[in-house]
Amino acid sequence: MNPDLIVPLLAAAVQSGTPVLFATLGEMFTEKAGVLNLGVEGMMLCGALAAFVTSLYTGSPVLALAAGGLAAALVGALHGMVCLVFLGNQVVSGLALTILGTGLADALGTPLVGRTAPGFGPLRLPVLGDLPVLGPAFFQQDALVYLSYLLVPAFWFFFARTRPGLRLTAAGEYPAAAAAAGLDPIALRWAGVLGGGFLVGLGGAYLSLAYTHLWTSNLTAGRGWIAVALVIFAAWRPGRAVAGAWLFGGIMAFQLRLQAAGTTLPSSLLLMLPYATTVLVLVVAALRRGASRGSDAPEALSVNIEPED
Amino acid sequence: MAAATPATHAPAQPLVRLEGISKHFGAVAANADIHLDIHPGKVLALLGENGAGKSTLMAILSGRYRPDAGRILVHGRPADFASSRQAIAAGIGMVYQHFMLASRLTVAENVLLGQEGAFLLSPRKMQAQVAALAEEYGLALDPAARVADLSMGERQRVEILKLLHRKSRVLIFDEPTAVLTPGETAQLFAAFRNLTSRDRAVVFITHKLEEVLEVADEVAILRRGRVVETLPRSRVSTGRDLACRMVGREVLLTVDKAPLAPGEEVLRVENLSGEGLDDVSLDLRQGEILAVVGVAGNGQKPLVEVLAGLAPPREGEVLLLGHPWSEFYTRPSWRGSLCYIPEDRLGLATMPGMDVVDNVLLTTRRGFSRGPLLDLGRAKTVVRDLVEEFNVHPRDPNALAWQLSGGNLQKLVLAREFYRDPRIILAEQPTQGLDVAATEEVWERLLLARRTAGVLLVTGDLNEALQLADRVAVMFRGRIMDTFPAADREKVAGIGPLMAGVRPGESGA
Repeated sequence: MNPDLIVPLLAAAVQSGTPVLFATLGEMFTEKAGVLNLGVEGMMLCGALAAFVTSLYTGSPVLALAAGGLAAALVGALHGMVCLVFLGNQVVSGLALTILGTGLADALGTPLVGRTAPGFGPLRLPVLGDLPVLGPAFFQQDALVYLSYLLVPAFWFFFARTRPGLRLTAAGEYPAAAAAAGLDPIALRWAGVLGGGFLVGLGGAYLSLAYTHLWTSNLTAGRGWIAVALVIFAAWRPGRAVAGAWLFGGIMAFQLRLQAAGTTLPSSLLLMLPYATTVLVLVVAALRRGASRGSDAPEALSVNIEPED
Repeated sequence: MAAATPATHAPAQPLVRLEGISKHFGAVAANADIHLDIHPGKVLALLGENGAGKSTLMAILSGRYRPDAGRILVHGRPADFASSRQAIAAGIGMVYQHFMLASRLTVAENVLLGQEGAFLLSPRKMQAQVAALAEEYGLALDPAARVADLSMGERQRVEILKLLHRKSRVLIFDEPTAVLTPGETAQLFAAFRNLTSRDRAVVFITHKLEEVLEVADEVAILRRGRVVETLPRSRVSTGRDLACRMVGREVLLTVDKAPLAPGEEVLRVENLSGEGLDDVSLDLRQGEILAVVGVAGNGQKPLVEVLAGLAPPREGEVLLLGHPWSEFYTRPSWRGSLCYIPEDRLGLATMPGMDVVDNVLLTTRRGFSRGPLLDLGRAKTVVRDLVEEFNVHPRDPNALAWQLSGGNLQKLVLAREFYRDPRIILAEQPTQGLDVAATEEVWERLLLARRTAGVLLVTGDLNEALQLADRVAVMFRGRIMDTFPAADREKVAGIGPLMAGVRPGESGA
């Protein structure tokens, strides 16, 4: 194959996969603490809008990024209230959160449709960016993509090698054991909901600050749902989340290229391709895993912590 | 028989002292005025039947419940535990029957959870730390193993390490051998010895006599919420002795019962084996109550499960109303057949979140159906009458099952089951945890029911068995040791030894 074709496709795959990667890691963080949050799509959109508005009025992409994360964490806090305080059903609450978040971002963002805001541009890394093939594919990206490169090992390190990581895992595996060890599993789950929400918000912010630089309705186009699916595909491991997110990004980029090249295939079919592939990959992964052993999910995932006695 | 360390009398000061501890749940006294001393370097066995109040007492000591009255002294100073965290801080830790372990985490992670030390974790250092602790107490464990890959005995050792790491001085075990193989049990008892040799105190809850004889230094016997006796191991000679003390013979209640002429045979079990049963044979006639007695866990449960249709018989034959088991349970009739009064009132017998009418319909719905529809109006009328007749409070047919007290719930279950005009009644621990008034009512109902049915009464309460039964069968290790008329005084006097597996004429075990 021609490297002149492959390299831009790889670069586009990474760029297109990065928002999904952030959101996947965010949802994974929350789920590791035992809370299932199906509100990713809505939180992502709210993060995207908050980042866009902040960038529009302050001109600072960094501030905008933080605003995106905080906004999504704030929306996620609603889920925390329902599940951790009132012990509501996590599935229902998450679905409601998606509906709320998408509606909210849509309503508040209507006057902004079509406007552009400053964001993150390409940033060629010294030395690495000059490598053949790898350079243009991976190291001539924007700052947020590099942040996602760092985030993946950091995510692994946090859960495998730090005290809060271990405690968060315990809250997701067996909250009663955490409580018996003198910890507060409810507080730990709050940390999971808010921390994960922040990461999801970064994914949303990437869409409005780096991917498009402009506001349109339904900017996420289902990427939040893809993230929820990829957490399962990745078996709650950050390294595999990268593979899933970039695969999704790659097919997204590929079908865009096909459309641009003027194929005779209907565009709606092409648009469906990344999502259909995700479903297919998920099914294959589930079949393979099901044959070998049980689930990789945290044991107490989506199980609320009932008060004792 | 393993030699226990001789109990030295009057040790200086107990590590923990319980003074006048009482705890009520509704009208039932789970614990009543309990005094107990826990000494360092001793294994204390808390012996009693199910429902005697052992678990409640230990839940109080480990900070999960607060007593209604009485106090706990630790090193002579009063302590008031609001949570198990505070009890652990005071040096009192508990190993529950359900282990509190995250199965995907390693042994070391589970032990050190909450006390990890530095922000950054080094798995190698954590494992070395836990390995050293395990080594010190002779508990063989791989600290790098995931808990999911461990046997039950190993998981229990992880729990012990958790307590030791938290510097617990008193380690409480709730029926620790229930999940263990014999080999693991021996290892656990060796660990007990190791702990007490380091001046830790071990308290273990059990109803198994042989374990008490093997490992305990002191025995406290609980009966109906009271400590009826505390004695050093050296004063207990045999299992027979313990069995007598445990089941007691004091007569709390007496009922009048006139023997009835036995009617036709309703139940026959021949050479039933498997699932913890060993060649069980018995028969039951209409007009009689046959009590199956024994220390819990000696085969009563599997026997009841087979008879109630919850588990198929492995070997041997079961005839219910003249039909073989599989035929009888292919199309059981809701009326004029067999009814089951389970031990687990709020789990197996009723649905806690459903109302009284729905709970009655659970087993009687076929009496109220018209095609696919239920005649709820008639059901409600019938339930109103039943509730009145069986003296169930509240009288409200719309009350939810969990809102009923234990006694009222049991009366409701009896009302429901007797509405089915049973020919065979399977009653499992029917008065466990009930107060005296409710116990009396249940007894009278059972005696009344015997006119039209044969009653198989499985009970751990010897007094209940002797008050109600026409015949008594004693179970030990899945076998029926003997069956005899309840009026046979000589045989009745030998029930204690039989429950410990000793036949008359043999020496004590």
